[in-house]
Amino acid sequence: MEQFIHPLVLYTACILGAAGICLALPRRAGGPQLIGAFIAAAAGGIAILAMSLKAGPAALPSIYFYIFAAVALGGALRVITHPRPVYAALYFILTIIATAGLFLILSAEFMAFALIIVYAGAILITYLFVIMLAMQAPAEGEVEVLTEYDTKAREPLAATVAGFLLLAVLTTMMFRGTAEIAPVATAAQVDSLLDDLPRKVERVLENHNMLEEGEKLALAAPDGGPAIDGAAGIIWVEGGAEPRIIERADWPEEMSVKNIEGLGFNLLRDHPGTIEIAGVILLMAMLGAVVLSRKQVQMDEEAKMRQARLLSGDTSGEAGA
Amino acid sequence: MGDLNGLLSTVGAGSVDAAGGGAGPWWAVLVPLLPLLSAVLCGVCAAAKVKSKLPAWITVGCLAGSFVTAVMMFMSIQGHGALTTTAFEWINFNWTAPGGEAQSFIANFGLRLDNLTGLWMLFVTGLATLIALYASEYMSHDVGKGYSRFFFAFSLFVFAMACLVMADNLILLYLGWEGVGLCSYLLIGYFYTKPSAVAAAKKAFIVNRIGDLFLALGIMLCYVHFGSVEYAVIFEKTAPYLAMLQEGRIGDIPALVQLIPALLMIGAFGKSAQLPLYVWLPDAMEGPTPVSALIHAATMVTAGVFLIARTYPLFLVSEYALPVVAWIGALTALLAATIGMAQFDIKRIMAYSTVSQLGYMFCGLAVLSATGGVFHVVTHAFFKALLFLCCGAVMHGFAGQLDLRKLSGVMSMKGWGIVGVGMLVGCLNLAGFPFTAGYFSKDMILAESFVTPGMAPIGWILLLTAGLTAYYTFRVFFRVFVGPQHAEPGEEFHAEDPAHGADVAEEEHFAEEARHAHGHSARGHDGHPHGDHAHGNHGHFHPHAPGWAINTVLAILAVGSLLAAGLYFMGDHGGFVGSKLHGTTAEIVTTAEGHTAAAYLGNEPHAGEHSFLGLGDPHKVMYYVSAVVGFIGIAIAAVLHGPKGLGGLMLGSRTEAARSKADNLLPAMGPIAKWAQHKWYVDEFYDLVIYRPLRGISHVFRLIDQFVVDGFVALAGWLPRAIGRSVRPLQNGELHGYAVGMAGGIAVLLLIVLLAVS
Amino acid sequence: MNTMTDLTHLLAQTGFPDSMGSATLAHYLFVSAAMFAIGLIGFVSRRNLIIMFLCTELMFQAAGIALIAFGRFHLDFTGQTFVIFVLTVAAAEAAMALALVVLLFRRKESLDAGEWAELKG
Repeated sequence: MEQFIHPLVLYTACILGAAGICLALPRRAGGPQLIGAFIAAAAGGIAILAMSLKAGPAALPSIYFYIFAAVALGGALRVITHPRPVYAALYFILTIIATAGLFLILSAEFMAFALIIVYAGAILITYLFVIMLAMQAPAEGEVEVLTEYDTKAREPLAATVAGFLLLAVLTTMMFRGTAEIAPVATAAQVDSLLDDLPRKVERVLENHNMLEEGEKLALAAPDGGPAIDGAAGIIWVEGGAEPRIIERADWPEEMSVKNIEGLGFNLLRDHPGTIEIAGVILLMAMLGAVVLSRKQVQMDEEAKMRQARLLSGDTSGEAGA
Repeated sequence: MGDLNGLLSTVGAGSVDAAGGGAGPWWAVLVPLLPLLSAVLCGVCAAAKVKSKLPAWITVGCLAGSFVTAVMMFMSIQGHGALTTTAFEWINFNWTAPGGEAQSFIANFGLRLDNLTGLWMLFVTGLATLIALYASEYMSHDVGKGYSRFFFAFSLFVFAMACLVMADNLILLYLGWEGVGLCSYLLIGYFYTKPSAVAAAKKAFIVNRIGDLFLALGIMLCYVHFGSVEYAVIFEKTAPYLAMLQEGRIGDIPALVQLIPALLMIGAFGKSAQLPLYVWLPDAMEGPTPVSALIHAATMVTAGVFLIARTYPLFLVSEYALPVVAWIGALTALLAATIGMAQFDIKRIMAYSTVSQLGYMFCGLAVLSATGGVFHVVTHAFFKALLFLCCGAVMHGFAGQLDLRKLSGVMSMKGWGIVGVGMLVGCLNLAGFPFTAGYFSKDMILAESFVTPGMAPIGWILLLTAGLTAYYTFRVFFRVFVGPQHAEPGEEFHAEDPAHGADVAEEEHFAEEARHAHGHSARGHDGHPHGDHAHGNHGHFHPHAPGWAINTVLAILAVGSLLAAGLYFMGDHGGFVGSKLHGTTAEIVTTAEGHTAAAYLGNEPHAGEHSFLGLGDPHKVMYYVSAVVGFIGIAIAAVLHGPKGLGGLMLGSRTEAARSKADNLLPAMGPIAKWAQHKWYVDEFYDLVIYRPLRGISHVFRLIDQFVVDGFVALAGWLPRAIGRSVRPLQNGELHGYAVGMAGGIAVLLLIVLLAVS
Repeated sequence: MNTMTDLTHLLAQTGFPDSMGSATLAHYLFVSAAMFAIGLIGFVSRRNLIIMFLCTELMFQAAGIALIAFGRFHLDFTGQTFVIFVLTVAAAEAAMALALVVLLFRRKESLDAGEWAELKG
């Protein structure tokens, strides 16, 4: 079984990365955090470089991949090494934005923007709120004192060994397997989604003036088959002199299936239950959060009675007393 | 006495339908079934909480019906050999053995009707009827409480006894055997709130178990050897061995056959209270007196004698069985008599005399006087029931008082005449006074033991025992029934509990009581010179004389005991019993040369030239000798215990209840008297030899259980706990520790997968 | 021409919907694994509860990258559907976790996870 990159290189990179992160983790004395970060970055660089060399020019990812990957991993490293939680959260936003970039490269536009909106926009702001809530701002002229649990990592060595052992094993398995998996779908198959989008097809054809006078999308092929066959690349139009075919080669760019269309079909047609389940999960989480964060008010019996009287507007008891 | 042909024809009769055999009358099944019906009805009474004497009348009625049926049965089977009546098929298994041989195990609920059975059922049902009548009055203080329960067990006992006696196979016999054991247990423990009664019931049950185990083994061995448990088949297959015996080829008889009687014998010893299993019977007197009379004197304890008489052919072919039975019987008779001499509890004295007389019966069977043995069973049943019922009447009337030192002159009290006369008749019978039934039956055994080769020592022991029996019997009579009037109430006086608790205290504090007896009694006597004696703080005590039921029963039994002597003169084969036994299995086989049983083969032949001390034929001489011995015993009792007066008839000089001349002799006897009082320490000996070692072993096993078995169990609990304790620090509650463990665990798992794949 | 399409074409690995090579996939998977490892290390070594939860979010991100990369590789939208699910769970987790953190902080005035080591054996 051929390794994608040489194990020696991979494990060297893993060990280097472990050492680097171990050094980079926060310590009370300050320590060689910067050096550690460099070593970790170098390790990541070595691994990616080795992969790129192996992949060759044809399969080389776009240059943006390197930029986004570097930003994402660097941000992630800073999240776990920065002693101030606020900064860690901000670096996490950086990581999210870089990840969204990676999603874009992977043609997952919807997910990229959803990630930024939901994660960076909503979740991380909540985190920041809580962080702010949990920390007292230093008074005027006072030097801000970081808490001990923020400035001192707990057993950094054990943590990094465990983490990088997992990383080494994961990457080893990955690099063994990736060469063997083959893409099961072709671009033509993606176009089969057009079968369910006759309106879009007709609109695109009209926009690009590909329909003669009186012509419109056929209801069915002359032989009784479907009018649109995305997989075969055939669209039947009729209403003119005689029904004719518009081949894939003649299709305008706009005709190709968009990410949002594919995702919509997948989510709502292929997996209709997921969105419901997600809704239920979110509802439950909301309920849980409400219950958990509610403040328990301790009232004695007398206070309760007073409260009850107050609410009912009944003052006769007091008058009687 | 009989001949082989007679026996063989009997044997054949049972098998299929040879001459004289065949089916008996169907109504014979009523003999066991009527008591069963009575038991069921009494059970219903108990369930319905009947508060009247109804159960007693049900029982008396059913038992009387059973008795009438038994008489009719006895009449109808005369002239036939052995008849068989099968009530229903009970156990019937047929299968093919691995060798292809067809095998079967058949035990029907069938009755074997012959004269042996008939005789036994006559006195069992007859006495049971009388004693049930007696008990209807005796148990009257329990009406509404245990009354139904008592008569339920009583009826069930008669049913079980009938099964035992009338069975045509050993399995049904065993059912009855265990049934009477169970009823005995229930009735001894009738006063179940009394610890001593419960202990006695348990003792009887457990000691009987030992015997029953051997009986069961004997039955199994019978099946193994003969392939059947039915008497007919067994006797048919024993016939060849009897033929061998006749020809003197005892070496050809398989050893296995000789083992069967040895096992049956131990079963018989257990049920009939012989050495070494006699210890339960005296304690069994904790039960109500009618029970003592019926079960533990007259009927159940003779089951062992019946067993041997029933399976007599098996004993005849064994070389060792009969001498062992003889020696055990003789030693038991002697030992029990010596103990009886030293006891003060009159009921207990009667119990020991029962043990002693049972020894006589075994000797009778063993010295080839089956007639004598069975005759003694019949006569003993009557006079011992009479004696017990008299003792019971005394006990009933004097609030549980049984100590002969605290009673005197009962016969002369108002209303006690019949009891006294009955007691006198019983005592005369037991002592072997000339021309009483006991005299004739005992003579037959004594004479035959001097005749049977090698059994003369048995005869001498039995003769000595006869003298001792006469002494202790009349010791009771002279002290309790004649002499100055004196009575102290027993422990039941003013007591709610009807139990006769005198026994317990007496047994436990025997020595102490004996020490204080004199002073205590004398003080009471000084204060109240007349018969109606009472303790100061208890108020006046008035004994109540027995009512019509008790008196009627006593009278009938007394007359019956006297008339039983007449049986001796009926028939031509050794009296009525002998003539009836002729042709049953209990008959003796005599060979042409006069040889009898395998055990006595090779010794000098049984012939007329025997003489007793040169005086002549033992059969004739014994009439005089035993009479003389009996007189001597009575005379000694009269001297030592007899009261002054009675027209110079009495030789004694006893003027008060508690003291007699015998007390003066005690120092001279040294420790022997004390040992006899303590029953020769047999119970203590058993305690030391059996109970304590068993207890010790149990303790050892308990320790093993506690430390080894429980240790394993505890280990199973301790081990997980220890493991948990050792790994508990891992659960330090730190979130990070768990996370590291999880991540590292996944990594290690993946590593294993990786290494396994590559 | 649509701007979105232009941006996609500018960034996309090889023009969608053309397939992506497995060597390219490996790059993304490495980034995903590395981010997961960093998140794990952070979760294990940091003691601030909020940072620990941030680290779990990091691990969610890593999973999302891997899912989308595989989806692109197979030209299958199910990967993205899964990421929607991951987002949902992350949001729910954030809501619950932060509620818990607030609750715990109120009790002990500290965000140290070590303060809560009370379930030890």
